[in-house]
Amino acid sequence: MQSETIRTDALRPLSDIQIEQTREFIDSLEQGSQTYWDMVEIGDELSRDLHITPELVILYADAVEDFNPWYEAWKMNTWHIKGESPFGGAIVPPVLVSHFVLSVQFDHNKPFAIGSIHTFHDSEILAPIPVGATVRIATRATDKYEKRGRRYVRHEVNVTDVENGTHYFRETRDILSL
Amino acid sequence: MSRTDVLNSPLVTRDTPVGYQLQSIKKKAVIQLMGSRLWGRFNPNHWDPVYAATTGLSAPIQTGEMSSAYLAEMCVNHFGAQMFSNARMVCKYVASTLANEVIVTHGVVREKAAKGNGFRFTVDIWSENEAGEKKTVGWVEVDVGV
Repeated sequence: MQSETIRTDALRPLSDIQIEQTREFIDSLEQGSQTYWDMVEIGDELSRDLHITPELVILYADAVEDFNPWYEAWKMNTWHIKGESPFGGAIVPPVLVSHFVLSVQFDHNKPFAIGSIHTFHDSEILAPIPVGATVRIATRATDKYEKRGRRYVRHEVNVTDVENGTHYFRETRDILSL
Repeated sequence: MSRTDVLNSPLVTRDTPVGYQLQSIKKKAVIQLMGSRLWGRFNPNHWDPVYAATTGLSAPIQTGEMSSAYLAEMCVNHFGAQMFSNARMVCKYVASTLANEVIVTHGVVREKAAKGNGFRFTVDIWSENEAGEKKTVGWVEVDVGV
């Protein structure tokens, strides 16, 4: 089997204790999760509020290596700043909220199903989101379908400002379920 | 052109013709970034080579959101603030981006439809590895000078 020849440290240096901790962590992930296909019924509606802090935006921007100054409402040494963009203060990268839909569309109180894959999104970026806003991410399961022997779940998503109701973002997205 | 210049003076204007090619950006699928807690770390297919192999992958794969973010960065470089209002971005992840691959983004203006005082641009976008294998394909629609 291929996995027998592939090492945990194949792509980055790790000591024995790091490898052991990694394997323990992965074993813990596999316990008790359902597939997304089984977790979702068409018509399911879920909603959560997300406070988009300056630090969260920096975490995202660093992970995708996007150093656009418009996204910076946190800088080393000065820490929290208002930031600058054509809309006044710092704003959120265009598709940041799309990533966090995953934390809403499936019941986050249950173990996440590992091994599923995001395959498609149709996103409308309706208005800039100020860094520091609290947004409501609301999802509705609209379809479950099979295509070429694979199972997909489709959701519609709306993101609005909790305080003033501004409609920031709308999306249709598909996840390939195990 | 500096980053500030690009942001303050978007590369796509009302006069940009159909067929215009957006300037690419390049990113490497670095395993440490793929394993960032930002992405959750609950799917080892994105950061653990041993688990990835058990699901038939030759290496861990990037989450699709990383590819979309690269394409969005390219679009912000060209459309500036206009990318944040009434824009649309459609992406289909047609192949997996494997750890250590270098990803290059591309875009070509497909259409511009008169709208208000300007145009609504439609741009085909995609990302591919250095061998030219497409990973993500889609399009964006953005109002320019409307």
